Amino acid sequence: MKKLMIQTMAILWLFTLCVDVHAQTRTVKGQVVDNLGNPLPNVSVSVKGTNIGTTSDAQGVFEVRASANNSLILSSVGFVTKEVELKSQNNIRIILTRSDEALDEVVVTALGIQRSERSLGYSAQTVSSESLNVNKQSNVVNALQGKVSGVTITSTGGAPGQGASIQIRGINSIDPSRDNNPLFVIDGVLMDNSTSVTGNRASERGISNRAIDINPDDIETMNVLKGGAATALYGLRGANGVIIITTKSGKEGKMKINLSSVAGFENPNKLPELQDVYTQGWAYEYDPHSFWPAFGPKISEAKVIDPDHPDKLRNHFKDAFDTGNQFKNSVNFSGGNQNANYLVSLSQLHSKGIMPGTDFKNLSGRINTNFEASEKLKFAASMSANNSGGLRGRSERFMEQLVYWSHRHNVRDNIFLENGTPGGYSNDNVNPLAQSLSNKFKDDVLRFIGSFNTSYKPLDWLDFNYRIGVDMYRDNRSMTAPGMQGLPGEYTLSNNGISDAPAMGIVGVYDSKFRTINSTFIANITKEFDNDLTATLRLGHDLYDKHLISQNTEGGDLTVYNWFNLSNAKIINASTTGQTYRLMGTFAELALNYKNFLFLNITGRNDITSTLMKPNNSFFYPSITSSWIFSDHMQDQELLSYGKLRLSYAKIGKDAQPYSTITGFTTYQNLPTEYTGFTRAGLLGDPELRPEFTNTYEAGIELRFMNGTLGLDATYYHSTSKDQIIRTPVTATTGYVNAAINAGDMQNQGMEISVDAHPIKNETFGWNTAVNFSMNRNKVLSLYEGLSEILVAEQSGYLSSNIQMKLIPGESYGVLYGRALKRYYSPDEIAAGMDKSADIDKNRPLLINQNGFPVLESASDKKKLGNVQPRWIGGWSNSFFYKNLSLDILMDARIGQDRYNKLDNHLASFGYPKYTLNRDDYKVFDGLLQDGSTNTKEVWLGQGVDPKTGTNYGNGYYRDLYRGVSEYFVEDASWVKLRSVSINYSFPKKWLGNNQIIKNMNVGITGNNLAMWTKYSGLDPENTTTNSGSNIEAFAGMTYPAVRSFLFNLNIGF
Amino acid sequence: MKTKKYKLKNLMRSIISVIMITLYSCGDYFDVTDNPSLVSDPNINGMVSTATFRAAHNSYNIAYITSHYSQYVASATAGSSSDTYEETNNYAVWDAMFFAMSDLYDLITKADEQQAHHHKAIGQTLLAYQLGLVADTWGNAPYTEAFGKVNTLQPKYDDEETLYNEQNLLLDEAIDNFKKENSFPFSTTADLIHGQDIDKWLKTAYALKARVLNKISKKSTYNPKDVLAALDKSYTSNNDNAGMSTFKGINQWAAVARDNENLILHGWLSSNFIDHLNGTKYGVEDPRIKFITEKTIDGNIYIGTRNGEGNIGSNTARDECYISRKSPLTSDDSPIIIVSYAETKMIEAEAALRANDKARAYKAYTDGIKAHFELLGVSNDETEEYLNRENVAVGENALSLAEIFKEKYVITYLNAEAWNDLRRYDYQHKDFLMPVNAKLDDFIRRVAHPSTERAKNGDNVPPAVPLDTHLWWDKN
Repeated sequence: MKKLMIQTMAILWLFTLCVDVHAQTRTVKGQVVDNLGNPLPNVSVSVKGTNIGTTSDAQGVFEVRASANNSLILSSVGFVTKEVELKSQNNIRIILTRSDEALDEVVVTALGIQRSERSLGYSAQTVSSESLNVNKQSNVVNALQGKVSGVTITSTGGAPGQGASIQIRGINSIDPSRDNNPLFVIDGVLMDNSTSVTGNRASERGISNRAIDINPDDIETMNVLKGGAATALYGLRGANGVIIITTKSGKEGKMKINLSSVAGFENPNKLPELQDVYTQGWAYEYDPHSFWPAFGPKISEAKVIDPDHPDKLRNHFKDAFDTGNQFKNSVNFSGGNQNANYLVSLSQLHSKGIMPGTDFKNLSGRINTNFEASEKLKFAASMSANNSGGLRGRSERFMEQLVYWSHRHNVRDNIFLENGTPGGYSNDNVNPLAQSLSNKFKDDVLRFIGSFNTSYKPLDWLDFNYRIGVDMYRDNRSMTAPGMQGLPGEYTLSNNGISDAPAMGIVGVYDSKFRTINSTFIANITKEFDNDLTATLRLGHDLYDKHLISQNTEGGDLTVYNWFNLSNAKIINASTTGQTYRLMGTFAELALNYKNFLFLNITGRNDITSTLMKPNNSFFYPSITSSWIFSDHMQDQELLSYGKLRLSYAKIGKDAQPYSTITGFTTYQNLPTEYTGFTRAGLLGDPELRPEFTNTYEAGIELRFMNGTLGLDATYYHSTSKDQIIRTPVTATTGYVNAAINAGDMQNQGMEISVDAHPIKNETFGWNTAVNFSMNRNKVLSLYEGLSEILVAEQSGYLSSNIQMKLIPGESYGVLYGRALKRYYSPDEIAAGMDKSADIDKNRPLLINQNGFPVLESASDKKKLGNVQPRWIGGWSNSFFYKNLSLDILMDARIGQDRYNKLDNHLASFGYPKYTLNRDDYKVFDGLLQDGSTNTKEVWLGQGVDPKTGTNYGNGYYRDLYRGVSEYFVEDASWVKLRSVSINYSFPKKWLGNNQIIKNMNVGITGNNLAMWTKYSGLDPENTTTNSGSNIEAFAGMTYPAVRSFLFNLNIGF
Repeated sequence: MKTKKYKLKNLMRSIISVIMITLYSCGDYFDVTDNPSLVSDPNINGMVSTATFRAAHNSYNIAYITSHYSQYVASATAGSSSDTYEETNNYAVWDAMFFAMSDLYDLITKADEQQAHHHKAIGQTLLAYQLGLVADTWGNAPYTEAFGKVNTLQPKYDDEETLYNEQNLLLDEAIDNFKKENSFPFSTTADLIHGQDIDKWLKTAYALKARVLNKISKKSTYNPKDVLAALDKSYTSNNDNAGMSTFKGINQWAAVARDNENLILHGWLSSNFIDHLNGTKYGVEDPRIKFITEKTIDGNIYIGTRNGEGNIGSNTARDECYISRKSPLTSDDSPIIIVSYAETKMIEAEAALRANDKARAYKAYTDGIKAHFELLGVSNDETEEYLNRENVAVGENALSLAEIFKEKYVITYLNAEAWNDLRRYDYQHKDFLMPVNAKLDDFIRRVAHPSTERAKNGDNVPPAVPLDTHLWWDKN
């Protein structure tokens, strides 16, 4: 592999040397306008047969050097490419016409096949480089947010480099452990976008999804293929949708150099508000060393006892976070002649997070080249290498520690003592920053992605295309945390130790190696029949081979507390995991085009997979799609200039997760280092597993009005997956945790609508706007017979108020269950079992106990409290330009979703939320007693003995009842965000001097996450405690806070 | 046109043949079954290590649940579901029991294939023990169709009597196998309970046999002579105790105490147990109390937490007693005791008393007390003083079940067997209190099958019954 790399690189460098510079004769000046006379900026102007070229400026003006016998080629997206013979003109005005061609852009579809937009019988959306990078996101997944319909993106938190997850058209599998992220393909190579949680508590550390290794600046377009028909040729790997990334390539012409720099800073966008009346202590008794941060007396009473008590209580959540920053510099060189072109880019990103002790860096480089040996034979190669990683903090634990910290103390004081041990004000309240700064987990990824492509077109009706690509990386992670020094009175940080030796130090090494090879061969045969029918037949072969190995060693209980050497650890835990996966597809496609208004595509693919056993490992599935441009039959195209209907059906097969067919033994991990024991592995494999199939129907319509000024695209889809291969939980009495079986059906249906409009477009002012809207409805149709529910995930809450996400037939994915307050039911209704329903009847009065307080349902009797899946999502982007100034505004929304706010559950338990200010009040709870009479008993919400009645109220309302009511903590987490605002100014050409060394220059400022409208009381509800590889978004409680960032950018083109 | 057609045909043919060749030669290429984290043929010494570790760990796991019912411990929070006899979902322990038994089943199967009689016997002994823990806690449970013996994902449940008979059968087979010549050598670190000492294992098998036979004391089939016969071949000193002290980290009970230090609150000792020892119930302080727990920080006395009432105070300091890392029973490196010499002496005392052999009963009773004092490291003087106390030295003729159970309650501290004894004795200890705000009118008699089990194997889990419903052996 190394040899191949070196050879390819050498060839590529040779290509770049081929660029030669032709002599020029004279300067030709011109202006490009549309048929209404409006100047057209950014039109590419090239001198035919040379590498000379330029682009028009904001006034549509360009200058090139050419000779009289040359002709110019002018092209721009949305316009017919035009060739103009120069003759003797030195100053020309050229009109470009918008045409049907403008509405028939070429779209990159499955396996890199380029198709006219007209012929597509399914929904596909393209995001251009400009749109993608308008808000300067460093993670390509984040960069897509709000820009595509049907795509749900969740940034799991605001850490630098933190993973973001992406789902297309909802959750597709009942099996919670299966990946629902779409397939990423970059320049034809299948690219890994997993989120590895290998290493000490890595699942809590916001590890990057691997698409972060791609520099978004290198991307020319991203195409999102959503449904089964669109992804059919990718076979089972495309079952969750496909994101096709095409990177930039050099253009014919002189070498261009582009420099860009981004610098910015960031702050938390939302932190909890705290009450600032009651100080540290318990039951109104002040104690500056108390474990209880905010159940003490009011400040004035505390000051009597403790003159050092501050006048005001702090919001230590705000104190605890830094201002983060990021710097990114990139440069790219590109150019070429008619036979070859190249693009080389380098970029470097460094960012420091808001949580102390977190950072991320990414250094990446890319070389893309295209080479035409002849008209018939073409080559292309692209290679990228990058090195990324950083310090990843345990943000959930950090937030939890902040809850325990009293706002009487400044969290920025006393982080460490002089002897290096952690500071704080008691062993139960060690400074959270001491933990975040000393508990160091670092990842270091070195990755190479390369592809080599060759196409040969021996005859005008026949061509062959072959591509081979590799995606390989090593991910070296390390963990260090100092142990105890053994000094008297030393505070303990239990997390700075492994579970068998808390606080005693950790040294860990976790090394993973990942490699995939991907080879694709396609033959195209095109035949034009006399009766206006064109047929294209494609035959192809596709191979995917993946290998992954991970070796992990973690040592605990360090003898020398800060010597991070594995031989210094008394306890050593080791494990090896890995995976080999192979998949081969053979496929055929027949595409028929009748008079360029009626299209029909039929595909078939057969997959052979290594995760199923013969003969079930080989399976076939077809798709059929059609599109009809009905506007071609209309006389008057003044109003409706383009209309298209799409229909498609696809059946997609899917295989099992690797090793689902086998059963074995594994080492028993609870034994001390010098012992090796064996135990049954958790999975009961089934050699008889069969592939699962999903049937998808999709219909859509596309309309363009008034020459494309307004466009509408609407899609409806319906898909059902039957007989899914799932790792279902089984009773432990079988001796297994899970069994791989074919069972369970799930259905998704939904709608996607996008509207785009260009209401104003003239010389000095323009406005484009686009809206994306989508909704998806999911339903679990059935589970394995005899299995009534699957517990997908659970997060703890005080007083057994833990929240569960369960799959139950008839319900949708993502229903949350938790502990509710009892409602009043009459004895007859109870006899009829009406109170046993899982739904809460919110119209009923609460049941009130004799003691005057509402009653909790028993912990085992959980009620339905909400759903994680949004009712709908949307995005709205606007871009304006006025002369050289442009303004881009992006808003997005996710509406009708619920989240569990564990942070509030904790804050309530510790007397922090503002609503706990009524702790000294008396209250009569609305509701009925068991006997049906109205409650009239007044109760005190305070702690201990009520001064008025002498009744002992124990630990008080908030600790004895409120914190156990899950109902209060599953909140409506709908949000609308002002995702980004960017202002850019491009310098007029005349400012850049006459020598033309600097061709263009612009400066800009972008604000991300500027405003949010939500009822959710916790941190940003978009975040999750789970990592970006997880399908569980239920928990938005204690996460790495999302950030609001301001970025300044400068671009210079030479 | 013709030539084109011909070419096309040729081309198609060659493409198809390339594909076919690829398919054909790739026959083995897609046969990927070597998962690097799995081993298909583990060795039985390693399986014994897992089995012995898990047996002790599960002894802790079950005791962790049932110690709330035998009221050794109480929750720090008021109204906790385990203290107040609510239904709880103890799925983690249920699962751990069945994973351990599945491993034991695999050990027995593999040892049988390799003619490794002693490995097999250890497997059978521990399987009987684990099965007993399950049956005594939950009642009915899968066995004949469990562990993958039958190809089903929803094994049927066996009734308690079947499970009881299986325990006897397994122990009888184990005893036979221990007596056979060993043909398969143990590795030096295989056995974490008796260090490959088969004589001790044989005694342990008899000790467990005695326990099982004595459990049906309420049944007409109960035969104290059989119990005594088994005990004749069982332990002779504390040195024989079946315990396990190999931990990654520290003893599980010590870890509970450590959790308290880190404010994860559990392991607070119940007032029923503390008052049993501190003189509240029996007038004078039992000298063993200082070897079991530590005094509270307030008042230098022993205070327990009342079950259901929760800890009084801010519970962030030792204002009531909890499990002590200084006790020889629950220190960082103390063994987790499965069955002890002292306990077998109390079984002997009970069985002899029921067989009307008063002399043997009284001797066993005093030997049991001495053994326990010795195990804790109580001084000889204090032991003597205790043995001469009026309510201890009751004499051969006055010895009753009350004295035996009173002593055994201390001996089986944090052992799952304690709850079996309480139920057999119908909770007749002096001043043994019901928990505060209990959901049942009477003492608890069983644990509800985990609700997760109902979700996964609902057709087979027996219908829920009130938790004061007696188990099969707990009634006539």
